[in-house]
Amino acid sequence: MQINDLENLAKKYRREIFEKFLETKQGHPGSIFSMMEIAVSLYHGGFLRFDKSKKKFLDKVLISKGHATSALYPILRDFGVISKNEWNKWGKSKSQLRIFGNTSIPGIDITSGSLGHCIGSGAGMAISYKNNNQDKKVYVVISEGELYEGSTWEALLFAKHRELDNLTVIIDVNSLIILGNTSDCLKINPIKEKIEGLGIDTKEVDGHNIDELISALNNSDASQTFNCIIANTTKGKGSSVMENKKNWHYWNPMTKEEIKITREELK
Amino acid sequence: MLQRDIFINEITKKMKSDKKIYFLSADFGAAALDKLREQFPKNFIHCGISEQAMLDIAAGLALEKNKVFVYAMAPFLSLRAIEQAKCGPGLMNLPICMISVGIGLGYADAGPTHYSNEDFSCLRSIVGSSIYTPSDNNTTKFIAKEMLTKPKFSYVRLDRDVQKDLNPKINSEDYKNGFKIFGKIEKKKIAIISHGKIFHDCTSAFNKNKYLLINLFRSKPFPEKLVKKIKTIEKFLVVDEQTPSGNLSSCVYEGFRDKKFYPKIVSKSLPERYFFENGGRKFLLNKFGLSKTDLLKATKDF
Repeated sequence: MQINDLENLAKKYRREIFEKFLETKQGHPGSIFSMMEIAVSLYHGGFLRFDKSKKKFLDKVLISKGHATSALYPILRDFGVISKNEWNKWGKSKSQLRIFGNTSIPGIDITSGSLGHCIGSGAGMAISYKNNNQDKKVYVVISEGELYEGSTWEALLFAKHRELDNLTVIIDVNSLIILGNTSDCLKINPIKEKIEGLGIDTKEVDGHNIDELISALNNSDASQTFNCIIANTTKGKGSSVMENKKNWHYWNPMTKEEIKITREELK
Repeated sequence: MLQRDIFINEITKKMKSDKKIYFLSADFGAAALDKLREQFPKNFIHCGISEQAMLDIAAGLALEKNKVFVYAMAPFLSLRAIEQAKCGPGLMNLPICMISVGIGLGYADAGPTHYSNEDFSCLRSIVGSSIYTPSDNNTTKFIAKEMLTKPKFSYVRLDRDVQKDLNPKINSEDYKNGFKIFGKIEKKKIAIISHGKIFHDCTSAFNKNKYLLINLFRSKPFPEKLVKKIKTIEKFLVVDEQTPSGNLSSCVYEGFRDKKFYPKIVSKSLPERYFFENGGRKFLLNKFGLSKTDLLKATKDF
């Protein structure tokens, strides 16, 4: 696929998820919209091998920021992993799909929601693949908010010590947590220097630029060491109603005018 | 031999034929572990002093169909990583065996940070966990074998010190049941229920001819057959080296209640406080209500 196609896919998925938000009236639009290009790059950028006959991805994606796992649902639907019927039912009637992902949902590789767990779990998977000579990769997407969790740093230290080159951590840095800007709430910057301080190769990209994301993911795949990608993003990307507004971590009721504006902007 | 060495030796033996077994330690050792590490370096994972990451790493390994054992000192494995236990083996129903060493006041005189007087209630509250507290090496070996052949989310509570053998030892039928009764079942008797090291204190305090002694080495799931066996007994003294909230007596009460069995139950445990005093485990147990005399006196509380 061309970069332009991937960009259009990211827009399409935002539109579709926005319509789902209007039906479900719950969820985390800010965090989902911030990571959409990351998800599209992984799934449609050729980084995950797909077994068409089994409708199963061979490589793993763990969404550690579990409140944004539903960003994957329309992608998994397009690959036929989640059925169109399930997707259509979501928000209307009883459905397998949930705000937070769990392993009962086809294509979701881990139950997440509580922050700070998935780098460790990804490391466990990566070790298992290495020991069994399985050529498989694990991609873990975390939020910058998870850098406040001690377990995140424990796991980073561990993954570096074991040089798990089949594990890539992508940090979605949208600069907002529930109560406000990270720099005001509890300063976490400079993130790159902190992670590099552990000896981890770290690449910083514009998390909405698919070209940059794909280049960083290619570098990561070629690397012989454990590495991280910092993806700088905008929370609520694509909607002027939501962008960079802390209250749009969660879904909020929208006026007809706001709905109209958002639909227009997401075209 | 220490319970931990017994358990780890069983794992080491099985590792020879099963490459899907992983042993993770949060910088906690054992003589047997030195051998395991040497023989199976790929299947031993030092996680650093990072109990939380250890449980997450274990979850990742278990999601790939491995049999995983995590190992650390009881107070840190149980409380530091309790949310990881919920989100990993709990929520995802993963076969992770948590081996916890030094329950109760096992680490006297290290002080209250190293005592594990609430781990039982904490891990018991996690949905899907199975809880084991062996009193001797024979029972410990049975548990290890079960976890290797039928792995499941389990929390195994081992003592720091060498434990005496139970006499008679539990057999495979007892193990299947989850408990062993010592003494003849007679209606007039008071039954003493306990587990772990403190069960031995009960056996020396209470004469088998006068009291019924029940070793409840598997407290969760609560043994199905226990109530049927002892339903003629009217008085139960439950002894545990834990603080009062949610200790073995709560477990016994709930297990009995589920079978609509409502005998008198007296709980004898450590008091609701932290223990800063020096003097060793025996001194602390004597000072804080778990001496042999205290246990005997408690039978007058019905």
